[in-house]
Amino acid sequence: MHHMMLDQFAAQQTPVRRLDPAAKTVAAIVFILAAVLVRKDHLLPFTLLAAALAVYHAVGKVPLLYTLKRMLMVSPFALAIVVLFPFLEPGRVVWTLQLGPWAASVTDAGLLRAGHLGCTFALCAVTTLLLLATTPFQEVLSALARLRVPRAFVVQLAFLYRYLWVLLDELMRMRRARAARDGGLGPWSLRFRSHAGVVGVLFLRTYDRAERIYWAMAARGFDGRLPAPPTQRMTSKDAVFLCGVAALAAATLTLDRLAYG
Amino acid sequence: MAEPSLELVDVRYRYHAGAEALRGVTFSVAAGERVGLVGPNGAGKSTLLLAIAGFLAAEGRIRVAGHTLNRSTARDVRRHLGIVFQDPDDQLFMPRVGEDVAFGPVTMGLAPEEVRVRTAAALDAVGLSGFEDRSPHHLSQGEKQRAALATVLAMRPQILALDEPTAGLDPRARRRLIALLQSLTTTMLVVGHDLDLILDVCGRAILLDRGQVAADGPAAEMLRDGALLESHGLELPLSVAGRA
Repeated sequence: MHHMMLDQFAAQQTPVRRLDPAAKTVAAIVFILAAVLVRKDHLLPFTLLAAALAVYHAVGKVPLLYTLKRMLMVSPFALAIVVLFPFLEPGRVVWTLQLGPWAASVTDAGLLRAGHLGCTFALCAVTTLLLLATTPFQEVLSALARLRVPRAFVVQLAFLYRYLWVLLDELMRMRRARAARDGGLGPWSLRFRSHAGVVGVLFLRTYDRAERIYWAMAARGFDGRLPAPPTQRMTSKDAVFLCGVAALAAATLTLDRLAYG
Repeated sequence: MAEPSLELVDVRYRYHAGAEALRGVTFSVAAGERVGLVGPNGAGKSTLLLAIAGFLAAEGRIRVAGHTLNRSTARDVRRHLGIVFQDPDDQLFMPRVGEDVAFGPVTMGLAPEEVRVRTAAALDAVGLSGFEDRSPHHLSQGEKQRAALATVLAMRPQILALDEPTAGLDPRARRRLIALLQSLTTTMLVVGHDLDLILDVCGRAILLDRGQVAADGPAAEMLRDGALLESHGLELPLSVAGRA
Protein backbone atom coordinates (compact mmCIF):
# COMPACT_ATOMS: atom_id res chain seq x y z
CA MET A 1 0.00 0.00 0.00
CA HIS A 2 1.26 3.46 -0.80
CA HIS A 3 0.56 6.36 1.47
CA MET A 4 1.08 9.99 0.80
CA MET A 5 4.66 10.44 1.76
CA LEU A 6 5.97 13.49 3.54
CA ASP A 7 8.80 13.89 1.09
CA GLN A 8 7.17 12.84 -2.16
CA PHE A 9 8.45 15.91 -3.99
CA ALA A 10 11.82 15.91 -2.30
CA ALA A 11 13.53 14.15 -5.20
CA GLN A 12 12.94 17.07 -7.59
CA GLN A 13 16.16 18.67 -8.72
CA THR A 14 15.81 22.29 -7.66
CA PRO A 15 18.30 24.78 -6.22
CA VAL A 16 16.89 24.31 -2.70
CA ARG A 17 16.97 20.54 -3.05
CA ARG A 18 20.70 20.74 -3.72
CA LEU A 19 21.39 22.71 -0.53
CA ASP A 20 23.07 20.86 2.31
CA PRO A 21 20.28 19.32 4.45
CA ALA A 22 22.08 20.43 7.59
CA ALA A 23 22.04 24.03 6.34
CA LYS A 24 18.33 23.74 5.57
CA THR A 25 17.63 22.27 9.00
CA VAL A 26 19.49 25.06 10.77
CA ALA A 27 17.75 27.62 8.57
CA ALA A 28 14.37 26.15 9.47
CA ILE A 29 15.19 26.34 13.18
CA VAL A 30 16.34 29.97 12.83
CA PHE A 31 13.22 30.78 10.88
CA ILE A 32 10.93 29.19 13.46
CA LEU A 33 12.72 31.03 16.26
CA ALA A 34 12.24 34.33 14.43
CA ALA A 35 8.51 33.61 13.94
CA VAL A 36 8.06 32.70 17.61
CA LEU A 37 9.99 35.72 18.87
CA VAL A 38 7.85 38.29 17.06
CA ARG A 39 6.12 40.11 19.92
CA LYS A 40 4.01 42.88 18.44
CA ASP A 41 0.58 42.21 17.05
CA HIS A 42 1.47 43.70 13.74
CA LEU A 43 1.38 42.18 10.30
CA LEU A 44 4.62 43.55 8.85
CA PRO A 45 7.17 41.19 10.48
CA PHE A 46 4.96 38.22 9.67
CA THR A 47 4.57 39.39 6.10
CA LEU A 48 8.33 39.57 5.71
CA LEU A 49 8.73 35.99 6.88
CA ALA A 50 5.79 34.80 4.81
CA ALA A 51 7.24 36.42 1.69
CA ALA A 52 10.53 34.59 2.22
CA LEU A 53 8.67 31.30 2.59
CA ALA A 54 6.75 32.03 -0.60
CA VAL A 55 10.02 32.52 -2.50
CA TYR A 56 11.42 29.26 -1.12
CA HIS A 57 8.13 27.56 -2.00
CA ALA A 58 8.38 28.73 -5.60
CA VAL A 59 12.08 27.94 -6.04
CA GLY A 60 11.55 24.51 -4.52
CA LYS A 61 8.68 23.82 -6.97
CA VAL A 62 6.45 22.56 -4.17
CA PRO A 63 2.85 22.35 -5.40
CA LEU A 64 0.62 24.79 -3.53
CA LEU A 65 -2.05 22.14 -3.06
CA TYR A 66 0.47 19.90 -1.31
CA THR A 67 1.25 22.59 1.26
CA LEU A 68 -2.40 23.50 1.80
CA LYS A 69 -3.39 19.85 2.32
CA ARG A 70 -0.61 19.25 4.81
CA MET A 71 -1.49 22.47 6.61
CA LEU A 72 -5.05 21.23 6.97
CA MET A 73 -3.76 17.96 8.41
CA VAL A 74 -1.60 19.58 11.09
CA SER A 75 -3.99 22.41 11.91
CA PRO A 76 -6.82 21.01 14.08
CA PHE A 77 -5.07 21.37 17.43
CA ALA A 78 -3.75 24.85 16.73
CA LEU A 79 -7.10 25.91 15.27
CA ALA A 80 -8.90 24.87 18.45
CA ILE A 81 -6.64 27.12 20.48
CA VAL A 82 -6.88 29.99 18.00
CA VAL A 83 -10.69 29.79 18.15
CA LEU A 84 -10.74 29.73 21.94
CA PHE A 85 -8.34 32.62 22.47
CA PRO A 86 -10.70 35.54 21.69
CA PHE A 87 -12.90 34.34 24.56
CA LEU A 88 -10.14 33.92 27.12
CA GLU A 89 -8.08 37.09 26.89
CA PRO A 90 -9.34 39.99 29.03
CA GLY A 91 -9.99 43.25 27.18
CA ARG A 92 -12.70 45.39 25.60
CA VAL A 93 -15.71 43.28 24.70
CA VAL A 94 -16.55 43.47 21.00
CA TRP A 95 -19.10 40.68 20.71
CA THR A 96 -20.98 38.36 23.08
CA LEU A 97 -22.02 34.84 22.32
CA GLN A 98 -25.26 33.96 24.13
CA LEU A 99 -25.80 30.24 24.79
CA GLY A 100 -28.97 30.02 26.89
CA PRO A 101 -27.95 30.95 30.45
CA TRP A 102 -24.26 31.15 29.50
CA ALA A 103 -22.54 34.01 27.78
CA ALA A 104 -19.04 34.20 26.34
CA SER A 105 -17.43 37.44 25.29
CA VAL A 106 -14.98 38.08 22.51
CA THR A 107 -12.47 40.80 23.36
CA ASP A 108 -10.39 42.97 21.06
CA ALA A 109 -7.18 41.91 22.77
CA GLY A 110 -8.28 38.30 22.42
CA LEU A 111 -8.79 38.66 18.68
CA LEU A 112 -5.35 40.19 18.29
CA ARG A 113 -3.77 37.40 20.31
CA ALA A 114 -5.59 34.81 18.25
CA GLY A 115 -4.41 36.44 15.02
CA HIS A 116 -0.85 36.57 16.29
CA LEU A 117 -0.97 32.95 17.36
CA GLY A 118 -2.46 31.90 14.05
CA CYS A 119 0.29 33.67 12.10
CA THR A 120 3.03 32.17 14.27
CA PHE A 121 1.57 28.71 13.91
CA ALA A 122 1.13 29.01 10.15
CA LEU A 123 4.71 30.21 9.66
CA CYS A 124 6.20 27.47 11.83
CA ALA A 125 4.11 24.75 10.19
CA VAL A 126 4.86 25.90 6.65
CA THR A 127 8.57 26.14 7.45
CA THR A 128 8.63 22.55 8.69
CA LEU A 129 6.55 21.33 5.76
CA LEU A 130 8.84 23.05 3.27
CA LEU A 131 11.95 21.58 4.87
CA LEU A 132 10.43 18.11 4.55
CA ALA A 133 9.06 18.78 1.08
CA THR A 134 12.46 19.75 -0.31
CA THR A 135 14.67 17.32 1.62
CA PRO A 136 14.35 13.53 1.62
CA PHE A 137 13.58 12.44 5.17
CA GLN A 138 16.74 10.32 5.42
CA GLU A 139 18.79 13.42 4.70
CA VAL A 140 16.98 15.36 7.42
CA LEU A 141 17.87 12.51 9.77
CA SER A 142 21.55 12.49 8.86
CA ALA A 143 21.54 16.28 9.11
CA LEU A 144 20.19 16.01 12.66
CA ALA A 145 22.90 13.48 13.47
CA ARG A 146 25.57 15.79 12.05
CA LEU A 147 24.15 18.64 14.14
CA ARG A 148 24.84 16.48 17.21
CA VAL A 149 21.24 15.76 18.03
CA PRO A 150 21.44 12.72 20.36
CA ARG A 151 21.77 9.49 18.35
CA ALA A 152 18.96 7.79 20.26
CA PHE A 153 16.54 10.52 19.22
CA VAL A 154 17.55 10.39 15.55
CA VAL A 155 17.30 6.61 15.51
CA GLN A 156 13.88 6.82 17.11
CA LEU A 157 12.76 9.12 14.31
CA ALA A 158 14.24 6.81 11.70
CA PHE A 159 12.29 3.87 13.08
CA LEU A 160 9.15 5.95 13.31
CA TYR A 161 9.51 6.93 9.67
CA ARG A 162 10.22 3.36 8.61
CA TYR A 163 7.45 1.66 10.57
CA LEU A 164 4.68 4.25 10.80
CA TRP A 165 3.37 3.20 7.39
CA VAL A 166 3.76 -0.48 8.14
CA LEU A 167 1.72 0.08 11.29
CA LEU A 168 -0.91 2.13 9.46
CA ASP A 169 -1.22 -0.62 6.84
CA GLU A 170 -1.76 -3.12 9.61
CA LEU A 171 -4.40 -0.95 11.27
CA MET A 172 -6.15 -0.42 7.95
CA ARG A 173 -6.27 -4.17 7.27
CA MET A 174 -7.66 -4.91 10.73
CA ARG A 175 -10.34 -2.25 10.47
CA ARG A 176 -11.28 -3.53 7.07
CA ALA A 177 -11.54 -7.08 8.38
CA ARG A 178 -13.78 -5.85 11.18
CA ALA A 179 -15.91 -3.70 8.90
CA ALA A 180 -16.34 -6.70 6.58
CA ARG A 181 -18.11 -8.55 9.37
CA ASP A 182 -19.97 -5.99 11.47
CA GLY A 183 -22.25 -4.47 8.85
CA GLY A 184 -22.18 -1.33 10.99
CA LEU A 185 -25.32 -2.42 12.83
CA GLY A 186 -24.02 -3.86 16.09
CA PRO A 187 -24.93 -2.25 19.41
CA TRP A 188 -22.84 0.73 20.40
CA SER A 189 -21.18 -1.09 23.30
CA LEU A 190 -20.03 -3.95 21.08
CA ARG A 191 -18.61 -1.55 18.50
CA PHE A 192 -16.76 0.27 21.23
CA ARG A 193 -15.36 -3.02 22.55
CA SER A 194 -14.23 -4.07 19.11
CA HIS A 195 -12.43 -0.73 18.68
CA ALA A 196 -10.66 -1.38 21.94
CA GLY A 197 -9.85 -4.86 20.69
CA VAL A 198 -8.26 -3.51 17.52
CA VAL A 199 -6.08 -1.17 19.56
CA GLY A 200 -5.09 -3.98 21.91
CA VAL A 201 -4.21 -6.39 19.12
CA LEU A 202 -2.30 -3.67 17.32
CA PHE A 203 -0.29 -3.03 20.47
CA LEU A 204 0.56 -6.72 20.84
CA ARG A 205 1.49 -7.03 17.18
CA THR A 206 3.68 -3.97 17.43
CA TYR A 207 5.37 -5.45 20.47
CA ASP A 208 5.99 -8.71 18.62
CA ARG A 209 7.26 -6.85 15.59
CA ALA A 210 9.64 -4.85 17.73
CA GLU A 211 11.06 -8.11 19.04
CA ARG A 212 11.43 -9.54 15.54
CA ILE A 213 13.12 -6.37 14.31
CA TYR A 214 15.50 -6.57 17.24
CA TRP A 215 16.32 -10.15 16.28
CA ALA A 216 16.93 -9.12 12.70
CA MET A 217 19.25 -6.36 13.92
CA ALA A 218 21.06 -8.59 16.40
CA ALA A 219 21.44 -11.27 13.72
CA ARG A 220 23.44 -8.75 11.75
CA GLY A 221 25.70 -7.78 14.59
CA PHE A 222 23.81 -4.92 16.26
CA ASP A 223 25.33 -4.27 19.67
CA GLY A 224 23.59 -1.04 20.67
CA ARG A 225 25.80 1.26 18.62
CA LEU A 226 24.51 2.63 15.37
CA PRO A 227 26.48 3.41 12.25
CA ALA A 228 27.94 6.91 12.21
CA PRO A 229 26.26 9.45 9.95
CA PRO A 230 27.84 10.16 6.57
CA THR A 231 30.22 13.06 6.44
CA GLN A 232 29.36 16.01 4.26
CA ARG A 233 30.67 19.54 4.17
CA MET A 234 28.79 22.75 3.67
CA THR A 235 29.63 24.64 0.52
CA SER A 236 29.74 28.39 -0.06
CA LYS A 237 26.20 28.22 -1.48
CA ASP A 238 24.97 26.76 1.78
CA ALA A 239 26.77 29.49 3.70
CA VAL A 240 25.17 32.19 1.56
CA PHE A 241 21.76 30.62 2.10
CA LEU A 242 22.27 30.44 5.86
CA CYS A 243 23.50 34.03 6.04
CA GLY A 244 20.47 35.15 4.07
CA VAL A 245 18.09 33.41 6.43
CA ALA A 246 19.91 34.77 9.47
CA ALA A 247 19.84 38.30 8.04
CA LEU A 248 16.14 37.98 7.32
CA ALA A 249 15.45 36.75 10.87
CA ALA A 250 17.50 39.62 12.31
CA ALA A 251 15.70 42.16 10.11
CA THR A 252 12.31 40.80 11.15
CA LEU A 253 13.09 40.97 14.85
CA THR A 254 14.67 44.41 14.59
CA LEU A 255 11.60 45.67 12.78
CA ASP A 256 9.45 44.13 15.48
CA ARG A 257 11.41 45.65 18.35
CA LEU A 258 12.27 49.07 16.97
CA ALA A 259 9.76 50.26 14.44
CA TYR A 260 6.79 49.54 16.66
CA GLY A 261 8.46 49.93 20.03
CA MET B 1 35.91 -35.51 7.02
CA ALA B 2 35.69 -31.75 7.27
CA GLU B 3 33.89 -30.26 10.23
CA PRO B 4 30.18 -29.78 9.56
CA SER B 5 28.97 -26.21 9.06
CA LEU B 6 26.13 -26.75 11.43
CA GLU B 7 25.78 -29.37 14.11
CA LEU B 8 22.89 -29.89 16.51
CA VAL B 9 22.96 -32.51 19.26
CA ASP B 10 19.87 -33.19 21.32
CA VAL B 11 18.58 -29.63 21.17
CA ARG B 12 15.60 -28.98 23.44
CA TYR B 13 13.58 -25.88 24.16
CA ARG B 14 10.50 -25.19 26.23
CA TYR B 15 8.53 -21.94 26.02
CA HIS B 16 7.49 -20.23 29.24
CA ALA B 17 3.92 -21.22 28.62
CA GLY B 18 5.06 -24.81 29.05
CA ALA B 19 4.79 -26.26 25.57
CA GLU B 20 7.93 -28.13 24.61
CA ALA B 21 8.78 -26.78 21.16
CA LEU B 22 11.99 -28.72 20.53
CA ARG B 23 12.29 -32.23 21.92
CA GLY B 24 15.78 -33.46 21.18
CA VAL B 25 16.72 -32.38 17.68
CA THR B 26 19.93 -33.87 16.28
CA PHE B 27 21.36 -33.35 12.80
CA SER B 28 24.38 -31.89 11.09
CA VAL B 29 24.86 -30.04 7.83
CA ALA B 30 28.09 -30.35 5.83
CA ALA B 31 29.81 -27.32 4.34
CA GLY B 32 28.17 -26.35 1.06
CA GLU B 33 25.16 -28.56 1.65
CA ARG B 34 21.66 -27.17 1.03
CA VAL B 35 19.11 -28.56 3.42
CA GLY B 36 15.36 -28.00 3.48
CA LEU B 37 13.69 -28.00 6.87
CA VAL B 38 10.05 -28.92 6.43
CA GLY B 39 7.19 -29.74 8.75
CA PRO B 40 3.63 -28.79 9.65
CA ASN B 41 2.66 -25.61 11.50
CA GLY B 42 3.91 -25.63 15.04
CA ALA B 43 6.53 -28.31 14.32
CA GLY B 44 9.22 -26.09 15.81
CA LYS B 45 10.90 -24.94 12.60
CA SER B 46 11.02 -21.25 13.44
CA THR B 47 11.91 -21.99 17.05
CA LEU B 48 14.83 -24.07 15.82
CA LEU B 49 16.02 -21.19 13.65
CA LEU B 50 15.92 -18.80 16.62
CA ALA B 51 17.77 -21.36 18.75
CA ILE B 52 20.52 -21.74 16.14
CA ALA B 53 20.98 -17.97 16.13
CA GLY B 54 21.25 -17.96 19.91
CA PHE B 55 18.09 -15.93 20.50
CA LEU B 56 16.56 -18.69 22.61
CA ALA B 57 18.55 -20.41 25.32
CA ALA B 58 18.05 -24.00 24.18
CA GLU B 59 19.45 -27.04 25.92
CA GLY B 60 21.78 -29.37 24.07
CA ARG B 61 24.73 -28.59 21.85
CA ILE B 62 24.72 -26.31 18.82
CA ARG B 63 27.86 -25.71 16.77
CA VAL B 64 27.83 -23.12 14.00
CA ALA B 65 30.83 -22.79 11.68
CA GLY B 66 33.09 -24.38 14.27
CA HIS B 67 31.87 -22.27 17.22
CA THR B 68 29.97 -23.84 20.06
CA LEU B 69 26.97 -21.65 20.73
CA ASN B 70 26.49 -20.25 24.20
CA ARG B 71 25.60 -16.92 25.73
CA SER B 72 29.05 -15.45 25.27
CA THR B 73 29.63 -16.70 21.72
CA ALA B 74 26.20 -15.84 20.31
CA ARG B 75 27.46 -12.63 18.75
CA ASP B 76 30.43 -14.35 17.05
CA VAL B 77 28.20 -17.13 15.84
CA ARG B 78 25.84 -14.65 14.18
CA ARG B 79 28.72 -13.30 12.11
CA HIS B 80 28.88 -16.64 10.36
CA LEU B 81 25.16 -17.22 10.16
CA GLY B 82 22.99 -15.12 7.88
CA ILE B 83 19.33 -15.34 8.80
CA VAL B 84 16.62 -14.03 6.53
CA PHE B 85 13.48 -13.72 8.58
CA GLN B 86 10.04 -14.47 7.22
CA ASP B 87 8.66 -10.93 7.09
CA PRO B 88 11.00 -8.67 5.09
CA ASP B 89 9.44 -5.66 6.83
CA ASP B 90 11.15 -6.89 9.99
CA GLN B 91 14.42 -7.43 8.20
CA LEU B 92 14.54 -4.07 6.42
CA PHE B 93 14.59 -1.63 9.30
CA MET B 94 16.70 1.20 7.91
CA PRO B 95 15.13 4.10 6.00
CA ARG B 96 16.94 3.26 2.75
CA VAL B 97 17.71 -0.07 1.10
CA GLY B 98 21.39 0.81 0.67
CA GLU B 99 21.81 1.67 4.34
CA ASP B 100 20.06 -1.52 5.30
CA VAL B 101 22.33 -3.71 3.19
CA ALA B 102 25.33 -1.83 4.60
CA PHE B 103 24.15 -2.30 8.19
CA GLY B 104 25.68 -5.76 8.66
CA PRO B 105 29.08 -4.93 7.12
CA VAL B 106 29.22 -1.67 9.11
CA THR B 107 28.52 -3.41 12.43
CA MET B 108 31.18 -5.96 11.47
CA GLY B 109 33.59 -3.04 11.58
CA LEU B 110 34.63 -3.20 7.91
CA ALA B 111 36.30 -0.25 6.21
CA PRO B 112 33.92 2.14 4.39
CA GLU B 113 35.31 1.14 0.99
CA GLU B 114 34.78 -2.56 1.72
CA VAL B 115 31.25 -1.79 2.98
CA ARG B 116 30.51 0.00 -0.27
CA VAL B 117 31.87 -2.85 -2.39
CA ARG B 118 29.95 -5.48 -0.47
CA THR B 119 26.71 -3.50 -0.52
CA ALA B 120 26.93 -3.03 -4.27
CA ALA B 121 27.84 -6.69 -4.83
CA ALA B 122 24.99 -7.97 -2.64
CA LEU B 123 22.41 -5.74 -4.35
CA ASP B 124 23.77 -6.83 -7.70
CA ALA B 125 23.53 -10.51 -6.73
CA VAL B 126 19.81 -10.15 -6.01
CA GLY B 127 19.20 -7.97 -9.07
CA LEU B 128 18.51 -4.76 -7.16
CA SER B 129 21.38 -2.58 -8.34
CA GLY B 130 20.29 1.03 -8.27
CA PHE B 131 17.84 0.50 -5.42
CA GLU B 132 20.22 1.98 -2.81
CA ASP B 133 18.18 5.13 -2.22
CA ARG B 134 14.75 3.53 -2.32
CA SER B 135 12.61 3.30 0.77
CA PRO B 136 11.80 -0.32 1.72
CA HIS B 137 8.17 0.69 2.03
CA HIS B 138 8.02 1.39 -1.67
CA LEU B 139 9.30 -2.01 -2.81
CA SER B 140 7.10 -4.84 -4.02
CA GLN B 141 6.96 -7.97 -1.90
CA GLY B 142 9.37 -9.74 -4.25
CA GLU B 143 11.82 -6.86 -4.17
CA LYS B 144 11.58 -6.69 -0.37
CA GLN B 145 12.30 -10.40 -0.13
CA ARG B 146 15.35 -10.05 -2.38
CA ALA B 147 16.53 -6.93 -0.54
CA ALA B 148 16.24 -8.86 2.73
CA LEU B 149 18.44 -11.57 1.24
CA ALA B 150 20.96 -8.92 0.12
CA THR B 151 21.24 -7.56 3.68
CA VAL B 152 22.53 -10.95 4.72
CA LEU B 153 24.61 -11.73 1.61
CA ALA B 154 26.58 -8.52 2.21
CA MET B 155 27.91 -10.11 5.41
CA ARG B 156 29.21 -13.11 3.42
CA PRO B 157 28.07 -15.62 6.01
CA GLN B 158 29.20 -19.25 5.97
CA ILE B 159 25.65 -20.43 6.45
CA LEU B 160 22.43 -18.95 5.12
CA ALA B 161 19.23 -19.65 7.02
CA LEU B 162 16.03 -18.64 5.25
CA ASP B 163 12.61 -18.70 6.89
CA GLU B 164 9.82 -19.18 4.32
CA PRO B 165 11.68 -17.22 1.64
CA THR B 166 8.90 -17.54 -0.95
CA ALA B 167 5.99 -16.54 1.30
CA GLY B 168 3.81 -13.98 -0.46
CA LEU B 169 5.69 -14.10 -3.76
CA ASP B 170 4.00 -14.42 -7.14
CA PRO B 171 5.24 -17.21 -9.45
CA ARG B 172 7.68 -15.03 -11.34
CA ALA B 173 9.22 -13.50 -8.23
CA ARG B 174 9.37 -16.98 -6.72
CA ARG B 175 11.11 -18.41 -9.81
CA ARG B 176 13.63 -15.62 -9.67
CA LEU B 177 14.38 -16.25 -6.02
CA ILE B 178 14.80 -19.98 -6.66
CA ALA B 179 17.28 -19.29 -9.49
CA LEU B 180 19.13 -16.93 -7.17
CA LEU B 181 19.35 -19.48 -4.35
CA GLN B 182 20.52 -22.14 -6.81
CA SER B 183 23.33 -19.87 -7.91
CA LEU B 184 24.74 -19.47 -4.38
CA THR B 185 27.38 -21.85 -3.08
CA THR B 186 26.85 -21.09 0.60
CA THR B 187 25.68 -23.72 3.06
CA MET B 188 21.95 -23.24 3.27
CA LEU B 189 19.11 -24.10 5.60
CA VAL B 190 15.77 -23.38 3.98
CA VAL B 191 12.76 -23.49 6.28
CA GLY B 192 9.29 -23.64 4.82
CA HIS B 193 6.13 -25.15 3.47
CA ASP B 194 7.05 -24.54 -0.15
CA LEU B 195 8.14 -28.09 -0.88
CA ASP B 196 8.60 -27.37 -4.58
CA LEU B 197 11.14 -24.73 -3.65
CA ILE B 198 12.96 -27.18 -1.41
CA LEU B 199 12.88 -29.84 -4.13
CA ASP B 200 14.43 -27.33 -6.55
CA VAL B 201 17.03 -25.87 -4.23
CA CYS B 202 17.95 -28.47 -1.64
CA GLY B 203 19.64 -31.83 -2.03
CA ARG B 204 18.56 -32.96 1.39
CA ALA B 205 15.44 -32.50 3.49
CA ILE B 206 14.78 -32.82 7.18
CA LEU B 207 11.22 -33.37 8.31
CA LEU B 208 10.47 -31.88 11.69
CA ASP B 209 7.28 -32.70 13.59
CA ARG B 210 6.34 -31.94 17.17
CA GLY B 211 9.83 -30.79 17.95
CA GLN B 212 11.59 -33.89 16.68
CA VAL B 213 13.28 -35.01 13.49
CA ALA B 214 10.78 -37.37 11.87
CA ALA B 215 12.81 -38.03 8.72
CA ASP B 216 16.14 -36.99 7.25
CA GLY B 217 17.35 -37.88 3.76
CA PRO B 218 17.66 -36.90 0.11
CA ALA B 219 14.99 -34.32 -0.72
CA ALA B 220 14.16 -36.02 -4.01
CA GLU B 221 13.19 -39.22 -2.15
CA MET B 222 11.51 -37.76 0.92
CA LEU B 223 9.41 -35.28 -0.96
CA ARG B 224 8.11 -38.04 -3.26
CA ASP B 225 7.01 -40.18 -0.32
CA GLY B 226 3.33 -39.22 -0.24
CA ALA B 227 2.51 -41.48 2.71
CA LEU B 228 5.30 -40.04 4.86
CA LEU B 229 4.37 -36.43 4.03
CA GLU B 230 0.69 -37.02 4.64
CA SER B 231 1.29 -38.59 8.03
CA HIS B 232 3.00 -35.36 9.06
CA GLY B 233 0.38 -32.97 7.78
CA LEU B 234 2.11 -32.20 4.46
CA GLU B 235 1.35 -33.19 0.92
CA LEU B 236 3.32 -33.97 -2.23
CA PRO B 237 4.91 -30.99 -3.97
CA LEU B 238 2.83 -29.93 -6.97
CA SER B 239 5.59 -30.80 -9.42
CA VAL B 240 5.64 -34.37 -8.08
CA ALA B 241 1.87 -34.74 -7.68
CA GLY B 242 1.33 -33.55 -11.25
CA ARG B 243 3.57 -36.28 -12.63
CA ALA B 244 2.00 -39.10 -10.64
